[in-house]
Amino acid sequence: MKNIFNSKNVRSLLRIVLALAIGLTFGFIITLIVSDEPIQAYQAFLFGPVSQLNRIGDWLEESLTLIFLGLAITIVFSAKQFYIGLEGQMILAAMATGTVAIYFPAPAIIRVPAAILAGMVVSVLWALIPAILKAYLGASELVTSLMFNTIALRLFQYLLRNFLQLPDTSGVMSERIPEDARLRTFIPNLPFLENIRNAWAKSTSVSWMVYVAIAAVGLAYIILYKTKFGYEIRAVGANEKFAKYGGINVKRTVVASILVSGIFAGLAGSHLVLAITERVVQGMAFGFGFEGINIAILSSNNPLAVPIASLFYGYLRVGSDVMERASDVSRELVFVVQAAVLLLLTAERLLPVVQQVVTTDEEEAAQLEKGSVK
Amino acid sequence: MPLVEMRDISKIYDNGVVANDHVDFSIEKGEIHALVGENGAGKSTLMKVLYGIVQPTEGQIFLNGKEVSFRSSLDAIDEKIGMVHQNFMLIPSFSVAGNVVLGKEPLQDNKLIDEKKSIEITQELSNKYGLNVFPEAIVDSINVGMRQRVEIIKMLYREAEILIMDEPTAVLTPQETQDLFNAIHKLVDQGKTVIFITHKLREVKEISDRVTVMRLGKMIGTVDTKDVTREQIANMMVGREVFLDIDKPKIKRGEKRMTVNDLTFVSETGKPVLRGVDFNLYSGEILGIAGVEGNGQTELVEVITGLKKASGGDVKVNGKEILNRTPREIRMMKVAHIPEDRLTNGVAVDASIKENLIVDRYFKKPLNKGLLMDYKEVDKHSNALIKQFSIKTPDGKLPVSSLSGGNMQKVVVARELSSDPYVLIASQPTRGIDVGATEYIRKELVKYRTEGVAVLLVSADLGEIMSLSDRIVTLYEGKITGVFPDASKATEKELGLYMLGIKEQTAEEMEKKL
Repeated sequence: MKNIFNSKNVRSLLRIVLALAIGLTFGFIITLIVSDEPIQAYQAFLFGPVSQLNRIGDWLEESLTLIFLGLAITIVFSAKQFYIGLEGQMILAAMATGTVAIYFPAPAIIRVPAAILAGMVVSVLWALIPAILKAYLGASELVTSLMFNTIALRLFQYLLRNFLQLPDTSGVMSERIPEDARLRTFIPNLPFLENIRNAWAKSTSVSWMVYVAIAAVGLAYIILYKTKFGYEIRAVGANEKFAKYGGINVKRTVVASILVSGIFAGLAGSHLVLAITERVVQGMAFGFGFEGINIAILSSNNPLAVPIASLFYGYLRVGSDVMERASDVSRELVFVVQAAVLLLLTAERLLPVVQQVVTTDEEEAAQLEKGSVK
Repeated sequence: MPLVEMRDISKIYDNGVVANDHVDFSIEKGEIHALVGENGAGKSTLMKVLYGIVQPTEGQIFLNGKEVSFRSSLDAIDEKIGMVHQNFMLIPSFSVAGNVVLGKEPLQDNKLIDEKKSIEITQELSNKYGLNVFPEAIVDSINVGMRQRVEIIKMLYREAEILIMDEPTAVLTPQETQDLFNAIHKLVDQGKTVIFITHKLREVKEISDRVTVMRLGKMIGTVDTKDVTREQIANMMVGREVFLDIDKPKIKRGEKRMTVNDLTFVSETGKPVLRGVDFNLYSGEILGIAGVEGNGQTELVEVITGLKKASGGDVKVNGKEILNRTPREIRMMKVAHIPEDRLTNGVAVDASIKENLIVDRYFKKPLNKGLLMDYKEVDKHSNALIKQFSIKTPDGKLPVSSLSGGNMQKVVVARELSSDPYVLIASQPTRGIDVGATEYIRKELVKYRTEGVAVLLVSADLGEIMSLSDRIVTLYEGKITGVFPDASKATEKELGLYMLGIKEQTAEEMEKKL
């Protein structure tokens, strides 16, 4: 029986849409309970992000950071490594990028790439210790990477206060990244785009990182699904003992998967400092690092689905911001919606209708196979 | 009247495996009853039925003449039946006492767990039955023998009168085994009844009052231990229906391809598992390793194929040392391996069939173009193997989990045989698969042997060993006890005596035949 549900992508999309609908409905019910003006509040939440150009900009900015983080987690999760040290990698990468962008005496055309590269290198190196501890000593990567987040945070504060601190201010922050090293808008400088370009450049800081993010999605997809290394990662993730028996160097693959994911975490940090905060500042990425996990789960470890999941999460984050400012509902509502959606997606049996559709064709295949044996 | 009577018990699993076939079994109060049989004979299943973990397809259970039916082990525990499993069910981070009282904790003022009382209870039971444990120690830090005693005390705390022990000595050193036997005698002196699953006949003779033998799911008989010799029990265990002969062309074996010399392996718990194994393997022969499971076969294969590190000795293929190299290096020396547990090692069930077929060769041409894989070539490769080995599937993109057990095993066999092996290690190649696939895989093994591959066959199925092998060696407690240079002249009765350690050839005798 052929129908559209037989396509795996359509099925997973359907599941996500259903989970979203239920999650948003749930959020609305809570809004009804807590708010004096629930309709208004939820309107701000749902439509706020697209109501003004600068909010659209915020939405895209948030989404770009989420894309990099989501890709990073997708890679480690594909090897079944529960590595969650992104927060620490990201802030240290941001600091490295920021420092190079501010102090490296070279023309912007060299300084910016050098700054981004510095972020990647720091991020990868920071992941090296938990990776090696896991692969060669069996230390749980979940625990070590979590602890490394705390260490990174303290290190970040120490370095910021003692070496980068801008004098004569009360805030804990570095000086601003010079004008020429900030990222330009993503809209190309063409005559017929001039008006749009100016409007966007004026009210948003969406930069050419958009293109870097698109390239990163492609790169992550190719790494995971088209390279030998990707095969090794997925084999280790599917069954570690099988991979070892088949001759794959499991330890090396585990370390490499964590290090490669560090490249993407580094990009997240660079993007944060170059395009959003424009300086190294205390609390610049608080809580951002863990959103990558949500994105990876939402996109079931498929890099091509990461941008969609990120845009959705970015939308919720900006929407909750707008709502908080426009009504009496606080932004924490977004966590309720996020949690509801994640719960529905991870607990597959909570969506029996879709689940049934999902299993039918697998069962069909199994039956077909058994039938032909008889 | 017997204390326990199981009448006409049958258990057919969902996948069609008949584990128990109309079995009658009874226990008298206060006896030590040994339940013996080869692996897969249905001993464990029968005891799981008695303990309520497995629901029988048909049959009845009577306790003191009264019919009972257990929906779970809780019901069995209520009837004072306890089981000590092969893999201990303890919480490693809890103390010994904490594990003993788990689920039935003594309380202070009906609220908090009374830790002091827990320790007292554990110490009391420990003293009463001579089961030495440290109540305050964390389970993680105590050795295997003590963990087992904790399991027994746990059951005694739940007032078990009937104790089922599933191969309790498999993990113990000889000294610990002796301690366990002393404890069992003490238990019986105080009125308990013990059912003891094993396949070590020496232990049967030493400890049991009566012995029941099972074979291939059926009850063979119950006898008083003092009336039978070990040889007679061995006969009851291994006698079997004659296996259909496979057409095996007579050929002369070729050059020596693998030598195993004084190979030793000591487990993590310090138990010597391989104690100096020697044999040679030649081109164009199937060398069968016969033995009751748990005598070192698993470790022998894992050490040769690089999955475990040997403790000593050497293994050479084509004159080159392969011991303690990585699985990749060993595979590059053309050693292929059909593993004993396909679901653990042989396949990744969630990955596709085609991805399972390339795990040993994805890095070779033409399956990749440098850094990138060439998935068109991978498809071609997998379609060819699916066809050649008649793997029944509509599409190589489907996950391996969509296949039946027999076809999963064909995926493993297809990959390993198509690697152009020089030496093939086949461990339990037909375990748990249907008749059709079994016959197919056996024929393939013979075909490759006839083409000159050196095949090492490890199987718990003596019929399989006898009908496929050119030569047979018997393995008992990690040592080779006999060499049979002409498999067609060996009888199962004779092999059984060597497999169970009742007879042993001298080193000089074996030397000549290797």
